[in-house]
Amino acid sequence: MKEEKEKLISNEEGKQAGEVSRRDFLVGAGTVVVGTAVGAGMLSGCSGGETTKTVETTKTVEKTVTTTVGGAGATVTETKTVGAGETVTATATKTVTQPGGGGLEPWQEPETPFPGAYGTDSNQACIADVKNGKIVRIRPFNWDYDVSEEDLKAAEWEFTAHGKTYKSFRRSHSSWFSMAYKKRIYSPARILFPVQRVDWEPGGDPDKINAQNRGISKYKRISWDTAATLIASEIKRVQDKYGVFSCLFAETPAHRETKVVHWPGNIQGRMLGGAVPGEAMFSEQVRNADSWEGYFWGLKWLAGEGNVGAVTPSTNNILDVAENCEMVVIQGCDRIVTGKAASCGTLNFLHKLGTIKHVYLAPDCNYQNAAYPGKWIPILPNTDIALSYAIVYTWLVEDTWDKEYVDTHVVGMEYIRDYAMGDVDGVAKTPEWASKRTGIPEWTIKALARAWAKYRTTAGHGTGGHVRGPYSHEEGRMTGVLMGMQGLGKPGQQWWGGFGGASPSRSADTSVGSARTPGRACRQVRNVRSKQFIPKTLVSPAILDHGFDKPMSWYGHTANAEMRPDQLIKFTYPIPQADGGAEIHLFWNDKPCNIGCWNAGHKLIEAFRSPKLEAFFTQHQWMSGDCVFADIILPINTAAEEDDLCNATGDQSAVFYKPRAIEPLGESKSDYEATLEVAYKLQEFGGRYAKAVENLTEGMDFDALIRYGYEGTQMAKTIPWEEFQKKSYLLAPVNPKWQESAPGLRRFYEDPVKYPRDLPSGKLEFYSQVLADNFPDDKERPPYPQYVIGGPNPNWEVNDTGWMHDESLDVENGAERCKQYPFLLQTNHPRWRVHVQCDDIPWFREVDTCKMKGPDGYMYEPLWINPIDAEKLGIRHGDIVKIFNERGIDLGAAYVSQRIIPGAVYQDHGAREDFVSSWPHECINRGGTNQQISPLPGVSRNCWGMASQAFLVGVEKLDPAEMEQWRTQHPHAFEWSKNWDPYVGYTFQDWLEQGGA
Amino acid sequence: MKAIVFNVLQCVGCYSCQIGCKDEHCGNDWMPYARPQPETGQFWMKLREFERGATPQVKVSYTPVPCMHCDDAPCMEACLTEGAIIKRADGLVIIDPIKCSGCQLCITACPYGAIFYNSGLQIAQKCTGCAHLIDRGWPIKEPRCINNCPGDVGAFGEESELASEIAQAEKLEPNFGETPKVRVYYKGLPKRFIAGCVYNPATKDVVIGATCTVSGAAGNTSAATDDFGDFWFEGLSKGTFTLTISGDGKTKTITGDTTEKDVALGDIALT
Repeated sequence: MKEEKEKLISNEEGKQAGEVSRRDFLVGAGTVVVGTAVGAGMLSGCSGGETTKTVETTKTVEKTVTTTVGGAGATVTETKTVGAGETVTATATKTVTQPGGGGLEPWQEPETPFPGAYGTDSNQACIADVKNGKIVRIRPFNWDYDVSEEDLKAAEWEFTAHGKTYKSFRRSHSSWFSMAYKKRIYSPARILFPVQRVDWEPGGDPDKINAQNRGISKYKRISWDTAATLIASEIKRVQDKYGVFSCLFAETPAHRETKVVHWPGNIQGRMLGGAVPGEAMFSEQVRNADSWEGYFWGLKWLAGEGNVGAVTPSTNNILDVAENCEMVVIQGCDRIVTGKAASCGTLNFLHKLGTIKHVYLAPDCNYQNAAYPGKWIPILPNTDIALSYAIVYTWLVEDTWDKEYVDTHVVGMEYIRDYAMGDVDGVAKTPEWASKRTGIPEWTIKALARAWAKYRTTAGHGTGGHVRGPYSHEEGRMTGVLMGMQGLGKPGQQWWGGFGGASPSRSADTSVGSARTPGRACRQVRNVRSKQFIPKTLVSPAILDHGFDKPMSWYGHTANAEMRPDQLIKFTYPIPQADGGAEIHLFWNDKPCNIGCWNAGHKLIEAFRSPKLEAFFTQHQWMSGDCVFADIILPINTAAEEDDLCNATGDQSAVFYKPRAIEPLGESKSDYEATLEVAYKLQEFGGRYAKAVENLTEGMDFDALIRYGYEGTQMAKTIPWEEFQKKSYLLAPVNPKWQESAPGLRRFYEDPVKYPRDLPSGKLEFYSQVLADNFPDDKERPPYPQYVIGGPNPNWEVNDTGWMHDESLDVENGAERCKQYPFLLQTNHPRWRVHVQCDDIPWFREVDTCKMKGPDGYMYEPLWINPIDAEKLGIRHGDIVKIFNERGIDLGAAYVSQRIIPGAVYQDHGAREDFVSSWPHECINRGGTNQQISPLPGVSRNCWGMASQAFLVGVEKLDPAEMEQWRTQHPHAFEWSKNWDPYVGYTFQDWLEQGGA
Repeated sequence: MKAIVFNVLQCVGCYSCQIGCKDEHCGNDWMPYARPQPETGQFWMKLREFERGATPQVKVSYTPVPCMHCDDAPCMEACLTEGAIIKRADGLVIIDPIKCSGCQLCITACPYGAIFYNSGLQIAQKCTGCAHLIDRGWPIKEPRCINNCPGDVGAFGEESELASEIAQAEKLEPNFGETPKVRVYYKGLPKRFIAGCVYNPATKDVVIGATCTVSGAAGNTSAATDDFGDFWFEGLSKGTFTLTISGDGKTKTITGDTTEKDVALGDIALT
């Protein structure tokens, strides 16, 4: 397969490089030209061909120049002034190495383009240009590449609104993550060979596994054979001793690269029977709806199904917004951050229309808000529900809601009305009441309520925002109440949610030939469940606090793709021994990011240090996150290093065959290959492992896998595999009638009987009878949304007050912890990372909103703080600050900014861990990994999603004496980091014992 | 003759221009056009970021700044070595990495701070307009910063083709006067703004439709407050101003100065 493709790409031979046309290079003549065009490539320095001639020149020039300020000289900049009449003497000596004649100069050396998609969490098409086996650049993709005009036209689309036309872009809007991915691929943090922690031995002997040293002790190099043998034999040993469910494997990992066949999804599980329901011989770590918890646990009960924060159907929402919407209310979300560059075209177009007012409700003036015209209404974190109720109150009092719609489309309005008016608890939810809680002036709350009632308003969401904090299901549902009271589904009144990109193609009906399925096609099982599983949010308590003597229970699989009724099912860990239940003693995690972007990282560290965990394995491209706690780490390569399929998108959608752009770095292998290595070893044991390899491969080699993947796409229904082989990619044609599909919830609006919501009543359920019946005593998620802030409950597992959280500033309503930790730390999706990924890219770290160089030269994660708060605390821009609560200490650099509301501070989540101390109860993290001090409990008691977006902290300027004290107490943490490149952070090499490489 | 026009109103601050420049030039040798750019610390394309205003009237302005490829380039005048900085027929200004003596006079001379000293290579370096790509015509025919931009902020091409755009554009530093004559132009460069939210403290309502009039050196303009009681005057000059707000039968006068910065007045009680 690979050879065939290369042949296709390098289609013409024997040309002189100088004569090669653009077209030739675009189709990859470079591959051949490297061979024919000489030592050309070599001249510039690879291997020094015979024609190389080196010229060395040394010259010294001395001259005196007088530059006068004034006249033209006034243009001299302030920072580089040459004073009037001052003389400047310049002497320069240098050695110049220059290639001699005979070959090509570096700029002319041929390059080979590799189209596809590279990056983390972005499938925007791009091209990697390769020269002499190294990636020269990664650039946006032009869809006129290697395609017929006819095919291109079939994939393009346009629409007109208010006399302005949006036409799909021919150049992809690749994100900055892709554009800088070269640094990621060649990062010094890349794990280049398998390693084993120096003081871990297999066998489970507590004295020999040295669990207490995880995260501290270094690593030694081992061979692939040793690594695979150790992992396989430990799996067997642990399963023999404790039962098959004692091994915990990760389910769908978050934020993969752009891989398909080589993707890690559920891969260890598949090896042990995970592709067949009920036959899985492992426990599964299940990923929750980490970026839209409030919609998952709340909105689904009010508006019915939806995914990734959208309410389905969401077809043609953007078309409807462009044509009919007058106001978009964006609650905390930031499409520049989560949709990245892919959002720019649409956002620019919507703003150009000049017909839509954008209102941003967020503690921070986020990147979309800061760049585009619009109204920022700063609001304290975790208080959106109070604002929403004050809006309802205003509508009720002023009689400006759509009663007719509510009569026919809603059940339970009376509950909302009674609660808003104070009939339930004696507190009317007036704008004045809400103002005290949200920090928004009363007049602005009323103005927003009136504008919302007056204008056709769409709720705009792009994941994150107000639905990742404690009790976020209340506000998740409450936004549904607001939309419902004004007529959800009416023209211009949609729920514009969903993942990232705002491109119309993401919501258009392109079902004629959707290219977006190879991921699923390649057996990347998402919903197969092992009989015993643990939600990702509950891994640390499972290891530390629970077992057969003290089982734990929760509701639902918690997995992001689950349907609403799943939330009613109660599960337990461990499952009964009679059913094969087992306590966890081995953990194999891929894309290990649990500490950096999941709940209560401090507790996970404690779990990783538990001797109960006899073996902890990870596989990853980069030395970061949970990797440094592992006993064995397998080196994984990037998407650029494997032949694979790739479903790349832009305003268009396409399936690519993507040959490897470069050879795998070091001894790295793909996730699939790495797991296969272990499968071969397991298979040797026979018995329950006899089919380990077959389970994984299903008898297919890579070429067959790629074909299997292609044939699983919609595209394959019309274009056979043989045709696909002849091309580097296939564009998905757009349904020419795409604009005719009813947008969003229009049909529900027009005929709720014929097109009901998938809820028992078929209507929007402001009051959920199902919740009322199933959770009659749940005061955190009652049957209809309420202003819930929780309350003190220092030890909820022992002495239960009924609350899971106390992360509020509302002292009047019983908040206590805020007296000790008076700031709410908001931790949005990061601007310069995809969760924990990409923190080692130097070109990002040069930007102040990514990292700030502290007085000690260390690159700290910025902490936004309003000048009012900064002044109170004696903090100046650039100071090192301590962000803390009872869970630990996180460091940052003060970014004194008007972009954050007083009372809250802001720091992106996901910064790379760098522990001064990682011991439980005294965690000090210099890297700014704030999720480490986030709350453990789920969104609420019966909703084990995560609630780590906004929580209470104290903030202080770090006393240099304290830093000195840490240096004395933990010299190791400072000594071994002193050689780090501040623009990268720690490297793979840093974690190897001396001579280990 | 080549020119670039940046429409900064379309810039969302994604930094893809700055990152693209680094991707093209860091670690890549494009001799004879350019030796590699150091990995960090230098910005042949620099995105300038300014936070403006005060909570809650805040905006961030972004301005991409490469070499201006001046026609009467001060760097060329200051250069020690004859022919080390050349003006190409297409208007691009290139520092010859071979001929450059590393004297650094050009760095001092450049009014835009666009030239950097590479101490490892002992030469001055700056934006080449990606002349190596322009000249060879593949894989793209424009500078990386332009090609990388998802917002189509920059337009690169023949000056004659961009004439209508240039006519509406201005120089990055208009106060530098006529010289040097730049080949990089800007549309929508941030000026000063005055913004505020007007409310009635008795009724605790915003005042919609209040007439707000700015006069003085900062500018003379008028507008009515919107549904949120907001006024937001963009495009003002630097200088003192008097702002008169009339609504709900009341009038309030505020004086101020935009010389140093934008003026965000927050919530204004109309009494």
